[in-house]
Amino acid sequence: MGKAATALLFFAAFALLVPPAAAQPARIADGANRQVVVPAKVERVYAAGPPASMLVFAIAPDKLIGWTRAFRPNEAAFVAPKYGALPELGRLTGRGNTANVEVLLAARTDLVVDAGSVAETYVSLADRVQQQTGIPYLLLDGRLDAVPGSLRLLGKALGDEKRGDLLADYFESSLKDIRARIARIPQAERPRVYYGRGPAGMQTGLAGSINVEVLEYLGARNVAAESKGGLAQVSLEQVLAWNPEVILTSDPNFYATVWKDARWQNVAAVRAKRVHLSPHLPFGWFDFPPGANRLLGMHWAGKLLYPKAFPEDLRPRVVEFHRHFYHQEPTAAQLEALLGEPGVLPK
Amino acid sequence: MLRADKLSFGFPGRTIGAGIEFTLAPGEVLCLLGPNGGGKTTLIRTLLGLLPAHAGSVHLGDRPLAHVRRQDIARTVGYVPQAHAGAFAYRVQDMVLMGRTAHMGLFSTPSDRDREAAARAVGTLGIGHLADRAFTEISGGERQLVLVARALAQEPGILIMDEPTASLDFGNQVRVLGHVRRLAAQGIAVLMSSHQPDHALQCADRALLLGEGKAIELGKPQEVIRPDTLKRLYGVDVRIVDNTCLPDYALRQ
Amino acid sequence: MNASGSRGAAAYLGATLALAILAALAFAVGRFPVAVGDLLGAFGAKLFGLAYPLPENVETVIFKVRGPRVLAALLVGAALAAAGTAYQGMFRNPLVSPDLLGVATGAALGAVLGIFLSRDVWTIQAFAFAGGLAAVGLVYWIGSSVPRHDPLLALVLTGIVIGTLLGSGIALLKYLADPYNQLPAITYWLLGSLASINPSDLVAVALLVLAGLAPMLLLRWRMNLLALPDDEARALGVDTKRLRLVVIVAATLMTAAAVAVSGIIGWIGLIVPHAARLLVGPDFGRLLPLAMLLGAAFLLAVDTLCRTIAAIEVPPGVLTAMLGTPFFLWLFAASRKGW
Repeated sequence: MGKAATALLFFAAFALLVPPAAAQPARIADGANRQVVVPAKVERVYAAGPPASMLVFAIAPDKLIGWTRAFRPNEAAFVAPKYGALPELGRLTGRGNTANVEVLLAARTDLVVDAGSVAETYVSLADRVQQQTGIPYLLLDGRLDAVPGSLRLLGKALGDEKRGDLLADYFESSLKDIRARIARIPQAERPRVYYGRGPAGMQTGLAGSINVEVLEYLGARNVAAESKGGLAQVSLEQVLAWNPEVILTSDPNFYATVWKDARWQNVAAVRAKRVHLSPHLPFGWFDFPPGANRLLGMHWAGKLLYPKAFPEDLRPRVVEFHRHFYHQEPTAAQLEALLGEPGVLPK
Repeated sequence: MLRADKLSFGFPGRTIGAGIEFTLAPGEVLCLLGPNGGGKTTLIRTLLGLLPAHAGSVHLGDRPLAHVRRQDIARTVGYVPQAHAGAFAYRVQDMVLMGRTAHMGLFSTPSDRDREAAARAVGTLGIGHLADRAFTEISGGERQLVLVARALAQEPGILIMDEPTASLDFGNQVRVLGHVRRLAAQGIAVLMSSHQPDHALQCADRALLLGEGKAIELGKPQEVIRPDTLKRLYGVDVRIVDNTCLPDYALRQ
Repeated sequence: MNASGSRGAAAYLGATLALAILAALAFAVGRFPVAVGDLLGAFGAKLFGLAYPLPENVETVIFKVRGPRVLAALLVGAALAAAGTAYQGMFRNPLVSPDLLGVATGAALGAVLGIFLSRDVWTIQAFAFAGGLAAVGLVYWIGSSVPRHDPLLALVLTGIVIGTLLGSGIALLKYLADPYNQLPAITYWLLGSLASINPSDLVAVALLVLAGLAPMLLLRWRMNLLALPDDEARALGVDTKRLRLVVIVAATLMTAAAVAVSGIIGWIGLIVPHAARLLVGPDFGRLLPLAMLLGAAFLLAVDTLCRTIAAIEVPPGVLTAMLGTPFFLWLFAASRKGW
């Protein structure tokens, strides 16, 4: 061989044998615009609440070290057994609770992910935990519009950008589709909706409250929107005065009461039999937890409020969502249980 | 009317005195003398049936006290405690009216007859001008008189008074003791505890000296109140002159 | 006798008049607009069978929503004031509230447990009622088993200790509760509200409150003697231990029933008896009815404000303190007597 060929051979061998440059830790701007240094390899992730759990689980289920609250058996049936059996780690309570922080350290957490409010309080909590433990803490915005961005961000942080982008695209296109359909519905055809919380249905979400984000995204007219704020208590008299055309709830006790209690009988929604109970497995669809699970709630509520704009069967959507976010398609029986529960869909 | 038979008395688990025996007759004033903490109040509470006897018995008339209902005891025995302030501003006339409870049914409110009896008691004590005043606003002496009136409203045959002149000024002491003698003259039996031997000497028909957990002496005051018995009771030296106890410092001349 | 008699009469007259006016007003106002004509027409139809065309839902609002709520406010206000009056007399202390022996805290624990277990409203109320009774039962049993010279002090101390224990139970349940769903429901219950009253609640509460009131009214003279030291009352012929037990049972029934349907509404049981006592003195026979009138009127006024000021409900506990304090201070300054 000539000198040049030998040099080339050495060079090629050298190039092949030397491993590629080790991946560098990434500097990521999280949902609250905090600059967080995320390690190159993230293997163990603690999700600080159900909205965050859902996002992490969707992208990298094997990296999730536990749930904030253990699944009940009927909830665990919707995910693979090894995921359903992950330990319960509790929430980060936000007051520097040493027990929880110790749990993080004991579990050799690489990354903490939280999704929800990005207000000052939660930013400072994130900073404090990060400082105390040295574990990077990503704070993501929990609002529906921010979910695609959060998915992309998480994909980068968890080392699976492809999956993050795939899910983000799916979510984004669903949102776009919903918005387009809503835009075509004239105001007059948008019903007035009351969302009742609590066993007597006497609490509701005011304008801007995260509890009715789905309603507002769907352009529905929340009867309680005359006031701004979070949750509030109202009187039955006020609800009668509002006389909503549709009543939605996530509380089975309230759902049962509405049909039995004589005082609700003359409400427009009750007379038109437009009172509906949101499905709740494995996570609630409509209100809580306020995470990505509410995409299904939007299709469901859309169908109830605007049957002509959302005529299609919900089943394929549910199957697709579960496949993407829970890595398991529901069986036919599970689908029936979900959608067939009294009150979920009109008869 | 009121009889103590080999009476032992005290608190649950602790006997303070024993072997008390006396009979109180209508119209008689019996003065109970003894040092602080000597058991006078505990004995009185036992005589009223508020504490159970540890041994022996108390008889009201011919019935053992333990067998008499609280309501019936209250119809016969009037209790005059030491005057206190009270938490609520009841009017004097309402305070006196409370004495009528023993004569009222369980669910009754005071009747006209009850009000008359109360008014009579108020009149007897001469405190009619205080009737509308709040109990918490009158003086200590006036309060004591109100409590005597309340006991009188019970229309009792027996009055048991626990140091009725403690914390009263001299004038009020004189008045209260004067009332005691007048009531005895009307036939009421009075048992009165006091920490002033002079009161026994000047006012009582008999004296019971309670010390060292037993009745040291029982009899006419002039006979049982002597320098030696007073020394046993109180541990001080006094002389008795003209029905008055005179300690050393009073004998400067 | 005459001077205080006429003062008492004036206070009664004033309170009754105020109550009547407030009740009429309460029926007339609300978030559901009801014209005065419709209001009178509805009553006419109900009472005299007159035919009167009513807009839809007006009859429901007046007789099934507003009506029960007005009556509930009267009952709860009267019950809390009566219980407070009885306890203040019995414990010889004007700083005592109906929750002294833990009935409200016990009821709160029961209700919070019901919410935590995702039960329906009726079960939550039943848990609350049972919790209130159980708490006082426990306090009474412990307090009277401990041999002490002063039975009242034993009760008070036991009440404080058990109340604190129950409170920690509530705190634990709040901690374990689902923060999105159960915790808000728990918080709202603890703030108190008459918003969820329905007609069947009303019947149950009315019966229980009457069951508690009856002994108090029957024994109103003897209750005065509880203000005396125990020895004196007994010497005057009163079985103090049994009378105290009756008062505790009666007050507990009333308060547990009230708290079960309305949550925790503070201040009424503590301050209304004071105000009544400043007006007519401590004689229970005169004091109790006036305290009940004042308590009913006051809570009715507060609740009417709570449900009309805004579209959302204001917790009554907030308003009872805000409105009651200046009124009470004025009353206190204007009177020269003691309690």
